[in-house]
Amino acid sequence: MANVLDLRRRIRSVRNTRQITKAMKMVAAAKLRRAQERAVSARPYAAMLASVLESLKRRAEIYDPETGECRHPLLLTRPEKRILLVVVSGDKGFAGAFNTNIFKAAANFILENGDKEIDIEAIGRKGRDLFRRRYPAAQFTGNNEEDQRPERQQRSSAVEVLAGPTAALEKIDYDAVREVAEEIIGLYTHEQIDAAYLVYNEFKSVIQQRVVVERVLPILSLTIHEIEKAEEPTLEERERAAEAALSAGVSLYPHEAEAAQKQLEDEAKNFGTAEVDYIYEQPPAEIFADVLPRYVTSQLYHATLESIAAEHAARMTAMDSATNNASDMIDSLTLTMNRVRQAAITKEIIEIVSGAAAI
Amino acid sequence: MPDQLKVRLVTPDRILVDQTVEAVEVPGKNGYFEVLYGAAPLLSEIGAGEVRLHGGEAGDRRYSVARGFVEVLPERVTILAEEAEKPQDIDTAAAQQQLQHGEKLWSEAGEDPEKYAHANEVMREAEARLESAGEKG
Repeated sequence: MANVLDLRRRIRSVRNTRQITKAMKMVAAAKLRRAQERAVSARPYAAMLASVLESLKRRAEIYDPETGECRHPLLLTRPEKRILLVVVSGDKGFAGAFNTNIFKAAANFILENGDKEIDIEAIGRKGRDLFRRRYPAAQFTGNNEEDQRPERQQRSSAVEVLAGPTAALEKIDYDAVREVAEEIIGLYTHEQIDAAYLVYNEFKSVIQQRVVVERVLPILSLTIHEIEKAEEPTLEERERAAEAALSAGVSLYPHEAEAAQKQLEDEAKNFGTAEVDYIYEQPPAEIFADVLPRYVTSQLYHATLESIAAEHAARMTAMDSATNNASDMIDSLTLTMNRVRQAAITKEIIEIVSGAAAI
Repeated sequence: MPDQLKVRLVTPDRILVDQTVEAVEVPGKNGYFEVLYGAAPLLSEIGAGEVRLHGGEAGDRRYSVARGFVEVLPERVTILAEEAEKPQDIDTAAAQQQLQHGEKLWSEAGEDPEKYAHANEVMREAEARLESAGEKG
């Protein structure tokens, strides 16, 4: 049986660990609050963009009245042979099953589409590292003579990885996301891919998060996000998250000013849809063509912000569990230590008593 | 006052401006235009340039914007811009660099009209930012 000194050492070590996990939890909670604010304040723009597109769609003749052909390349659908998969993961670990869930969803997607060629673009360091280890990088050589775009070399595998953005997620801004979006749009309009999907962690609130697979291109519907698949957390996981949030002082339903926010969002939805005849400075079709790429960017940006918030929420929950586990461990170790000490004392007394009795 | 115009300037990150003014100048793609209370509904793209607010509570204010569009309703103007900043926040060195980058793109564009347009766009944005940073005050 372990002696008292050993147990005391272990308790001290666990206590140190608990301190660290507790600090990490608090840091995650603080970052979560900031990320939440960012995600929420980005909503009006996205909503306005979607609604202006919706109203333009009715006026701009997207389909050629005579030939029935689609006028904008981003709306064209082709049989899906080559797919681009954008995976938004976290930059760091220690966030429970956050990254694993994302990878699982991505891996499932790849399995289900095993007969197609898939390119992966990873946002977030964890995902980038994983997919680079697993799949070969896409090779490009020189420039295509016709349109000056880099030409793709022969594929060495059905799944290949593209060079994604390298900026840290924490600092990612709209410009970085725009570059990614422009690349995706470029690939799509030049028919190097036939569809683009997005895998990310959606963040509704601390207790409501899910991994979703969403179609970005081609754009089929403007107002609804085209979610292919979603995985909801279990009730148990939600309860854990709620507990963690409570102890870290994060409100479950962010923004007490939710009513004001709601009103703002409602107004945002009405942007550009008033029942009046607008004067269009540019032909509607032209505005429409300009707005579409922005819509894709905004979707991608939205996904990134949500994923960042979800990552912090996941880390907070995981660290709260770790702290609780450490506390439990300290309790049980202390109990054992006291028992061992008591046993030693009892043994000594018995020895003394029986020694005295023998005299 | 009844004839005040509500102006909102929205960027991907946040709502930058939400106030009432007497008039607002907007850099439309085809040139600047000024909006007063009671304007006819209008939807336009905006080019690189400055949004100027006149007669607001905090006096006249300017914002350098790029890439976006504007919705004008009789009592409300909403500007969506991918980039918007106050003139005093503009990083002139970065803008200068952007201008040079644009010039480089321009000279490398060759005969590709797409690249040409892109380079022009980059240069116009940089110039607009420099210009608005230059006339501080």
